Amino acid sequence: MANLLPELLRELRFALSERTVVYVLVATVALSSLALIAGLANVAQQSARLHTLLPSIENEKEQALAAQSDVGSAAYYVFHLTYDLPSDLAFVALGMRDELPWLHRVRMLALEGQIYENDPGNPELSSLGDLDFAYLVSIILPLLLIGLLYDLDARERRDARYELLYATSARGGRVLHIRGLARTLLLLGAILIPLITIALVVGRWHTGLIAVVLAVIIHAMFWLIVSRLIAVRVYEASTAAAVLLGAWLLMTVLIPVMGKYLTERAIDVPHGGNILFLQRETVNDAWDLPKIDTMDAFASRHPEWKDVTIEKPFEWRWYYAFQQVGDQEAEPLSVALEDGMRERARWMSRIALLSPPLLVEQWLTKLAKTDTRQHMAYMRCVRDFHSSLREFHYPMMFGRQEFNEINMSKLPQFKPCGI
Amino acid sequence: MNQRPSLLIASDEWRYWKRSKLGVSVVIAALGLVIAAVVSTSFRISAEHTERTSFQQTATETFLSQPARHPHRMVHYGHYVLRSPAPLALVDPGVDAFSGTIMFLEGHRQNSAVFSPRYSAAPAGPFATLTPAFAYQVLVPLLLIVIGFSAVAREREAKTASMLMTSSVTAFQLWCGKTLALIAIALVSLMPLAFATLYSIVTGESVLIGLLFMLGYALYLICWCFLISGFSSATRRSANALAYLLAVWVVLAIIVPRFAATIADVVVPVSGKIVNDLALLEDVRQVGDGHNANDPAFARLRDELLEQYNVNDIAELPINFRGVVASNSEAKLTSILTEYAEKRMAEEAGQVKIMHALGALSPTLAARSFSMVTANTDLRQYHKFLRDAEALRFDFVQKLNGLHIKELSYANDVNRGASEEASQQARVSASNWRVLDNFAWQAGSVSERLQIGLPHAFLLLAWCVVTGFLSSSISQRSLRNHDG
Amino acid sequence: MSKPALTADSLCVDRGGQRVLENVSFNVAAGEVFALLGGNGAGKSTTLLTFLGFVQPASGLVKLNGVNVFDDVGAVHQQAAYLPESANLYPHLSAIENLDYFLSLARVSCSRAEIDQALDVVNLQATARGKRLGSYSKGMRQKVAIALAILRKTPVLLLDEPTSGLDPVAIDEFNSILIELAANGTTVLMVTHDVYGACHVANRVGLLQQGEMVGIFEAPEGGQISADEVHRTFAEHHRI
Repeated sequence: MANLLPELLRELRFALSERTVVYVLVATVALSSLALIAGLANVAQQSARLHTLLPSIENEKEQALAAQSDVGSAAYYVFHLTYDLPSDLAFVALGMRDELPWLHRVRMLALEGQIYENDPGNPELSSLGDLDFAYLVSIILPLLLIGLLYDLDARERRDARYELLYATSARGGRVLHIRGLARTLLLLGAILIPLITIALVVGRWHTGLIAVVLAVIIHAMFWLIVSRLIAVRVYEASTAAAVLLGAWLLMTVLIPVMGKYLTERAIDVPHGGNILFLQRETVNDAWDLPKIDTMDAFASRHPEWKDVTIEKPFEWRWYYAFQQVGDQEAEPLSVALEDGMRERARWMSRIALLSPPLLVEQWLTKLAKTDTRQHMAYMRCVRDFHSSLREFHYPMMFGRQEFNEINMSKLPQFKPCGI
Repeated sequence: MNQRPSLLIASDEWRYWKRSKLGVSVVIAALGLVIAAVVSTSFRISAEHTERTSFQQTATETFLSQPARHPHRMVHYGHYVLRSPAPLALVDPGVDAFSGTIMFLEGHRQNSAVFSPRYSAAPAGPFATLTPAFAYQVLVPLLLIVIGFSAVAREREAKTASMLMTSSVTAFQLWCGKTLALIAIALVSLMPLAFATLYSIVTGESVLIGLLFMLGYALYLICWCFLISGFSSATRRSANALAYLLAVWVVLAIIVPRFAATIADVVVPVSGKIVNDLALLEDVRQVGDGHNANDPAFARLRDELLEQYNVNDIAELPINFRGVVASNSEAKLTSILTEYAEKRMAEEAGQVKIMHALGALSPTLAARSFSMVTANTDLRQYHKFLRDAEALRFDFVQKLNGLHIKELSYANDVNRGASEEASQQARVSASNWRVLDNFAWQAGSVSERLQIGLPHAFLLLAWCVVTGFLSSSISQRSLRNHDG
Repeated sequence: MSKPALTADSLCVDRGGQRVLENVSFNVAAGEVFALLGGNGAGKSTTLLTFLGFVQPASGLVKLNGVNVFDDVGAVHQQAAYLPESANLYPHLSAIENLDYFLSLARVSCSRAEIDQALDVVNLQATARGKRLGSYSKGMRQKVAIALAILRKTPVLLLDEPTSGLDPVAIDEFNSILIELAANGTTVLMVTHDVYGACHVANRVGLLQQGEMVGIFEAPEGGQISADEVHRTFAEHHRI
């Protein structure tokens, strides 16, 4: 062990003496910086969008509120912005944020009709995906490592140097392991130094970065071990390359594809359209139903208002009651969708144990809080906020509180939730 | 020139592959991969197609079976439209999985299309959808590299190239034969694609488009064959040829396309829908609230109508003034909404334009754009869905407003809240709901699609010509220099 | 004669399903130069590779200083420097850098002066020493590899065709280096085609023919092995 360090230093120097290695390293530094800068730009766009919205939505809220004379209209015309701020590490893995909604404008109407509204990015860009750090680490890093390591042994054999190297080295053939390790460390440096530098320069240092660094190192070590196992056993460089690419294909394409297919077969989720449809039908039917039916269904969730009778053809509290009943009706489906999505994510995280590239992608998006789990947490946050709106307005609607400026000043404000 | 030597060299190369374990296993892997991609994508897309079509049917039937109602209730009751995948989506689903499939249409609002197929999909990383398009654009070139990297380099290593060259085979013939052998393999790998395209022609795609589609993919793979034979003859060692080709593949197929998307995203920012919604609120306020006929914004409209029909009070008008207001404000509102929606779509189209231009950096990106455009699964087609849906929305809302104007008297309308009986009076019969038009996916005319698809095919052709020229000239130079 | 440094005892080796060494036995004493001669495919290099632990014998033993090679291959590599036929050192490094690198691999520390001295001994021009090996002729590369073997200062040298590719002057120089090393106690086992060279430097010559040791010739006290005799035996067995 004590001898490892000088040998490693020697192999690092040796690797840097090779032009191809240096080219690959320079390209990697450029790629890593580019991915990180693109990530930062993307996150900055998201933040900018949010920060232009926040003041104008507050302004809009005040204007809308000032114009209303009763609590029903106030609840109808006042929109609230709910959002999921990009985390400090979001620039590392942009994840699903361009596809899944992280920003909503909601009001006290049936939530199921509003919560799936999406403000997605350009689908043609989404279908390509971003060149972010997570992609670099999960997809490109194995390819770069394969490129650096596949012919370590074969090259020595081809140049008839293998026996000399083996017989000269105090470590025998294991010197090639150290050579592989040195190249891996250099590649890791080319990937990680831009990460740490950029994080420090733009003031995004975050303890989670340590976990990111760890994830990258472990992923690289996995491919180092695989490459060594193959390179030692396969005589021809091109066969080694083909086998390693096969392993890459298996891990980045075939296992995820099969896993996704099996997971989706095993765990059914309701079609989102059914949720919208059911909620919409319930709300619309309520106009023609006896009002007592709606109020009874409403009271099953809110027993405190169970003795309320609706006398006029239109009353706001009845209107909001059937909005809520619409949500209640759709709830089994929406809960099933939520549970199904969560279950699918859980399955995929198990399948990822078979595929380190997938595992590291999941790991990074989890740290960056840009994965499905974070999305589910955000949706839960919106639901909680929406029910706090209901809890706030109902006492005024049902006459327990007065609609006045003092009471309305306590109107719930959305606060983003952590996980 | 005598092409017999080229053919002999090509058939010799085929025999070499047939005898090598690597060659056979790679060809089997490639065919297995594309067949799996074609079959699984066909099943998925046709399942999606069936589901969405039946959903669309249910939505339409439910709308039509609504009872007699106040027409404005139906404006708010609204309707659903679903986006159907194009026939060629079974080869290249394009943006299908990444864009909403269902849209709720109602008065006074433009909703977004929600529930993309990926919304509730199992999260499986960046390469989790094995579509034929992905297989042909990214994976097949990789497998062609693994088969073909040593085609010429092997001969040079074993010095057989110089033996061939001294026995009256020219460098060009050698290059030609090796390239031909590769192209033949590439074309064989296109068989599953041909079947899939044929199937899409059976299910409604135009023959001409199908042919163009196949041609584009053939050009793309030929371009890779040129790259492979070029690098194989430019390097003296086959292991080096493989290393260079893999590096080229990583750059062209893995890095540049995503890089292009990132560039497009950063260069052309798109304003968010919610930002737009807020911005247009101010504009909308000036239109007036269409539910409130007393809104001062409609004073001029009222005066004009009173003058036109020469009466003193709106109650005396032969038409329902509330309906007129609703119709009028819907039209104005829609023009504002459309303006914002068009602005956003133009921004997105601008992003895609940048990506198309960056196709000059990578044949993979060029092939991708070509494939989606030709298959009708690109952003343009998605925008067409959004526009069609909006047209349908405006159409049925205005038709309902027309009923409001003509079929419901002003007196009954204003009185509707007085009693249950009055409320019954303020309705129009259910037979009127047939105003709803059918919503069906339309491909656009063949000539229009050819016009859009051909420039992309030309870009691929240009890639083919450039790589072919470079490959042949570089190989001839290096074969002569070192072996001749 | 002192205790043998290298011993092959009834050595049989199969490679690729074929017997390439059949019952080969010989000893090399410490400080002795032993040359293995033979035609193509006689099994000379295989014998060397067996001593290095790269090739497993089907039966029989190979020993270094009385210890079975396969008991501790690492120890063999510590004590025996190996010079392969047409040694390819790293073409992108200079002679000095290559020596630095390989000596570090062997955990031998040499000063720059020692390296220069060794390169002087093999007569590599000073101007060439800083240039990349890729630009060297075959003979120059071989000289660097010989310098490496010398610099390792191991008690045993295993040399595979050390003079192939060298010009006649360089061969003479190399032979005198070998004689000097042997005089200082280094044991040398070398494989060669060069009958005259072998007879000139070796204390003993072993003649391998199709995997069998057909004769061992010993130099008379103070004299040389008769190359003609070796030739004759070689030719006889070749006819058979």
